[in-house]
Amino acid sequence: MSVRTPGGAGSDRGHGRSERAAGAAPAFDIGDSVREFAGPRGDYYARAFRRIQSKAGLAATFNRAAALFGPVWAAARGLWGLFWCFAILELLALVQLSKGLFSELGAAPLARAARLEKNYEKMVDRVQAALEKGDQAGADSFSLKAERLHAALEKALTQADEAAAGATGLVIFGLIALAAVKGLEGWVANLSCEKRYSRWRTDRTMRAGFSWTGAALGAVFAALVYPLTLYGFAATEPVALIGTFPADTSHYQALAGSIDRGFDRAADELAFFFQGIARGIRILLDGLEVIFVETPWPVVMTVIVVAAWRLAGPRVAIFTVAALAYVAVLGFWEKAMSTVALLGTASFLCVAIGIPLGVWFARSERAYAVARPVLDLMQTLPAFVYLIPIIAFFGTGKPPGILASMMFGLPPIVRLTALGLREVPKEVIEAARAFGATGRQILVGVEIPLAAPSIMTGVNQTILMCLSLVVIAALIDAKGLGYDVLEALQYAAKGQGILAGFAILFCAIVIDRMVQGGFRRE
Amino acid sequence: MTGARAPQATEAAPRIDLGPSITEFAGRQAPFYVSRFRLLLSARKRTWTLNRAALLFGPLWAAARGLWGFFWLFAILELFALVQVGRGLWGDLGAPKRAEAERLQAKSDQIAADAEAALSRGESGAAALRESAANLARAAENAFLEAGAAAAGATTLLIVGLVLLVLFRLLEGLRADRVYERQYSRWRSDRRVPSGFSFSRLAAGLALAAIMFPATLYRFTVSQPAEWLRTVPISRTYHTGAANLLDRWFDRAAEAGAGVFDGITAGTEAVLDTIEAVLAGAPWPVIVLFLLLAAWRLAGVRVAIFTGAALAYIGLLGFWEKSMLTLALVGSAAVFCVLIGIPVGIWCARSRRAYAVARPVLDLMQTMPAFVYLIPIIAFFGTGKVPGILATIIFSLPPVIRLTALGLTQVPASVVEAARAFGATRWQLLRGVELPLATPAIMTGVNQTILMCLSMVVIASLIGAKGLGQEVLIALQYVAKGQGILAGLAILCCAMILDRIVQGHFKRPDDGA
Amino acid sequence: MNDIVIELEGVWKIFGERAGEAMAAVKAEGLAKSEVLERFGAVVGIADVSFNVRRGEIFCIMGLSGSGKSTLVRHLNRLIEPTAGVIKLLGQDVMSLAESELRAMRAQKIGMVFQHMALLPHRSVRDNVAYPLEIRGEPKGRRWDVSQHTLSLVGLDGFEDRFPRELSGGMQQRVGLARALASDPDVLLMDEPFSALDPLIRRQLQNQFMALSEQLHKTTLFITHDLDEAIRLGTRIAIMKDGRIVQIGTPEEIVTDPADDYVRDFVQDISKLKLVFAHTIMEPLESYRAAAGEAKDLSESPRAPEDSDLDRLVDVSITTPHPIVITGAGGRDVGVVTKDRLLRGIQGGK
Repeated sequence: MSVRTPGGAGSDRGHGRSERAAGAAPAFDIGDSVREFAGPRGDYYARAFRRIQSKAGLAATFNRAAALFGPVWAAARGLWGLFWCFAILELLALVQLSKGLFSELGAAPLARAARLEKNYEKMVDRVQAALEKGDQAGADSFSLKAERLHAALEKALTQADEAAAGATGLVIFGLIALAAVKGLEGWVANLSCEKRYSRWRTDRTMRAGFSWTGAALGAVFAALVYPLTLYGFAATEPVALIGTFPADTSHYQALAGSIDRGFDRAADELAFFFQGIARGIRILLDGLEVIFVETPWPVVMTVIVVAAWRLAGPRVAIFTVAALAYVAVLGFWEKAMSTVALLGTASFLCVAIGIPLGVWFARSERAYAVARPVLDLMQTLPAFVYLIPIIAFFGTGKPPGILASMMFGLPPIVRLTALGLREVPKEVIEAARAFGATGRQILVGVEIPLAAPSIMTGVNQTILMCLSLVVIAALIDAKGLGYDVLEALQYAAKGQGILAGFAILFCAIVIDRMVQGGFRRE
Repeated sequence: MTGARAPQATEAAPRIDLGPSITEFAGRQAPFYVSRFRLLLSARKRTWTLNRAALLFGPLWAAARGLWGFFWLFAILELFALVQVGRGLWGDLGAPKRAEAERLQAKSDQIAADAEAALSRGESGAAALRESAANLARAAENAFLEAGAAAAGATTLLIVGLVLLVLFRLLEGLRADRVYERQYSRWRSDRRVPSGFSFSRLAAGLALAAIMFPATLYRFTVSQPAEWLRTVPISRTYHTGAANLLDRWFDRAAEAGAGVFDGITAGTEAVLDTIEAVLAGAPWPVIVLFLLLAAWRLAGVRVAIFTGAALAYIGLLGFWEKSMLTLALVGSAAVFCVLIGIPVGIWCARSRRAYAVARPVLDLMQTMPAFVYLIPIIAFFGTGKVPGILATIIFSLPPVIRLTALGLTQVPASVVEAARAFGATRWQLLRGVELPLATPAIMTGVNQTILMCLSMVVIASLIGAKGLGQEVLIALQYVAKGQGILAGLAILCCAMILDRIVQGHFKRPDDGA
Repeated sequence: MNDIVIELEGVWKIFGERAGEAMAAVKAEGLAKSEVLERFGAVVGIADVSFNVRRGEIFCIMGLSGSGKSTLVRHLNRLIEPTAGVIKLLGQDVMSLAESELRAMRAQKIGMVFQHMALLPHRSVRDNVAYPLEIRGEPKGRRWDVSQHTLSLVGLDGFEDRFPRELSGGMQQRVGLARALASDPDVLLMDEPFSALDPLIRRQLQNQFMALSEQLHKTTLFITHDLDEAIRLGTRIAIMKDGRIVQIGTPEEIVTDPADDYVRDFVQDISKLKLVFAHTIMEPLESYRAAAGEAKDLSESPRAPEDSDLDRLVDVSITTPHPIVITGAGGRDVGVVTKDRLLRGIQGGK
């Protein structure tokens, strides 16, 4: 290879030049920056780091300070992950040690031995009594039992002895474990410190050096955690305060009671309001039930299959026929249709409420900022939790089931409508405005068409969410297919449950495909 | 300049002749539609035109012309009107009332007879009985009157139905041209839109109408329609037979695979027990300290304060132990999800075929109501906390798989190529390049998984998992609102603590840099 | 070792499920590109490419997008597998290498620079540059030494602890270059390294690259779509079109003697002043004398050596009304350049 000295594009260091690009790259001194990083004992760390860096694998260095102080050293150096690892490992070793030293390991077998001894004495008394009464057979059987008890007693005593003797074993094991942990600490310390240093080089905001507050904090934590844990695990019968949270049940009772009363009062006073809502939902539901449940099934089936075909193509139509045949043949038709009616009502209401809300949230930054955490909460909360206030206000039955489904199904449509509208390119809106479009014309003619894919995804998600809750709503007497599954769960009737489960699944798939096919066509 | 040209673009733009294209579109009756569409297209104000074919044939016209939306809308509306007409003509409107009246009459007669008997025996209650018999007789009288009135209302119903029918037809005739013109505009840009007059479509429309109209009319107008129209005439034996078959099959499978299922149970239980022992066994101050410190270090002061408040709520209301059980359940489910999900996700990202197989399964897993998982799990694993965890795992696995696969496929191809060009092995590529770049997506998946695990807590307790879920379930059964809401909030607290710590940790490096 | 570092012999690449069949058909029947697409649904990426690159050469491959040049360069380290042909690197048949040997070759013998930098966003500049060494399992200390050194070679001292996103595009590409140099490879593959940059920065980086390659003498395969760049940097240039090499030659050969209209179109607008030399455009002395008559006196004409470029000839020509006499080896008169010839030469004709 040709040998030339580098020309213009070189470094400003005198020794930074070389003949080959990399072959003979000069050593690069990290000493200063390590000293800056490490603070106290910088030279030591510079040496240690250089050693680590010169090894391709894991280098063996030993940090005595780390071995000695363990977690506190880690805390002082700001390595909190290491702090917890060290603390937990040390605790594991220390628990063994203190178990060996302080706790009565033989306590349990000893107690059993004491109990057995009492029984044995009783049995011996009985033998005596039987002998006195001249009941030889009884005496024999009693003495047999007494012998057995005695053997058990002996065994318990030896066990207790063994356990007590095992204490020394535990102490030795604990000591060895502690020594091993300390050794590990000394070894790992420099390695992880070096890793931190490499990261610190790219990010100077990172904790570096030695901090007394860190050390103090680590020491305080250790002082709190160590004794408590040792006590908790090593003591034979720890104080209850340690094991369980010292909660006063009266708080709970009082709070639960007042919530109950609050709900009852609200339900009473606003009865007309809640009843109004329920009645509104009922009307819609009744309408849908007339269409799905009351209308002769051949008509409904035909319409569904034709709709599947028109919306999503022949393959989905064939699948729909198979799914409907399954539902009908296994006698789920009515339940399936009433589930669909529930689902339809819930989804319709979700869409009718959700899209305008989404439009509003897309428009108003403030409204969205308020609504977002609420939407997050609505989706995070387990569905069952919704059911409780809904039962409190609306009782059980179908309208409350629909309301619960709406709570669950509303967030996706609101969120995706808002998202879709926000993502409409600004230039397009600007262009529409430049041609003098009104706010309404922009919304209807530009924004909604452009946001349609997002909105339709929201509709689809909403429908599926509603479906999964419509099933759960069986718990509050909303009937339908969910009821069969619930019943099967209660009586562990696997077959029935699986059959109903598949019916639900088929409904979900057919609806999903139809909706998706519908908006793919657009 | 361009003086010779049109002074204003819109005013003097030469007419384009739509005639041929409309003719092509409309097929039959083309000249009529050409003139109609021209009229509609040139009108500035709303113009009404009447299409006699649509007026006459209604939905059938729409079917033949391929306007299926129009067809369905008006078929249903006309059906509604026809049902009214039918009920007016031959529906026995007074039937339910008359039946009630007859029942009342019978009852009254019986009571009157009782009263006579009592009187003859000289009992004291006779007078009261006679009184109630008289009351019932009056009620029956009223019911008869109402039945008569309802029967008289038949004429009104008939008239209403007819009026509606005419109205709908008129509307059809008036809307037809405009709707058809819209179809034409769509057809111009997309030739797949149905056009022309088609006898096969007409036949399809006729067939649909033939299925829908008679059956529906019959069902709603006759007072006691045949049972087979209301419910599918299929005997219950299929259902029980299939159910029993499945039962037996499950039992046999559970027996045959007992070793596997027990092994899974034992493995899961070991992990769960360890986590439970740590969380529920360790003294609570230690756990509190640990969580606080972890929240503070990983996610900052605000999250630490929030964690403190949430833990205080849990502790003070006496949910400590149950929360720890719940956290252990969620924790071990999440650990399993991550352990299973990330490798599967990597595999899906690597192999197109694996992903093609996995995607519909994942979709299904998320679409399925969580309830439904529980049944096979009970069948194979019985009840208790292990089946609870397994159901939770199945429910919560999809996000982590999906987002791992997504994150890995979104790693820029150029970066992967560069790493390969420098001789990286597959493992080096995965560990040094792909996984770090996919970390944000994977972490989103982990986060979603944790939240889904928490939402399953209650459902899992349906099959015997302990903890906060059980509390909510009990509250639901006894409508104990306070208890349920407090426990629900405790679940929420657990969720938020986990969520904030995990999220906070992985957001911070980005903010810092 | 012989002097040829890269050797390609009849390399083909056909994309598609039925590439094998298509290849056989092409060899047997000599199908055209469009026929292959029609019959096999396969796309011809590279068609029968052969060339050699000598040690220390900068070999430019120039072509428009879609001409297959980026596909071609990926064959050298088998990021893309050829359908047919022989590829030799440093005398070794690349196609015969096992997976691990191939990786070793990629890690030690080849450095590559990419059009879109392809830096690892989650690693510092230092770790990016050291990445090839890390793959080879070098200890951290050595990685740091080398990356520090290579970064200073490309003029990025003091940026080693930054992240790529904190650097400008030009600086990022210099990191890319430093990464390619870090493992001290024998061959540099540069896939349109400067084409995503602003013209000014591109110029700067070209200069820096030229300075570096004078220092390091790496054998380089340089892909570009910019003929100016190819002419500035290349020792030799190959022009590709539709997967085939149309012409290979020195910049002067390409400019003065385009192989076909396609190449001519390209060179048309290139300034010939610095590329064409006196010996190319001069009329030999004998034929000049034969045409103009023996009597023509050339004693007053200025003299210029035969390796002076047109730019210099113009300078000379301005000072005198006489034609210029070109002198060959040993100062012997070998030819004549008249003003007309000079003007034609600048225009591109001969």
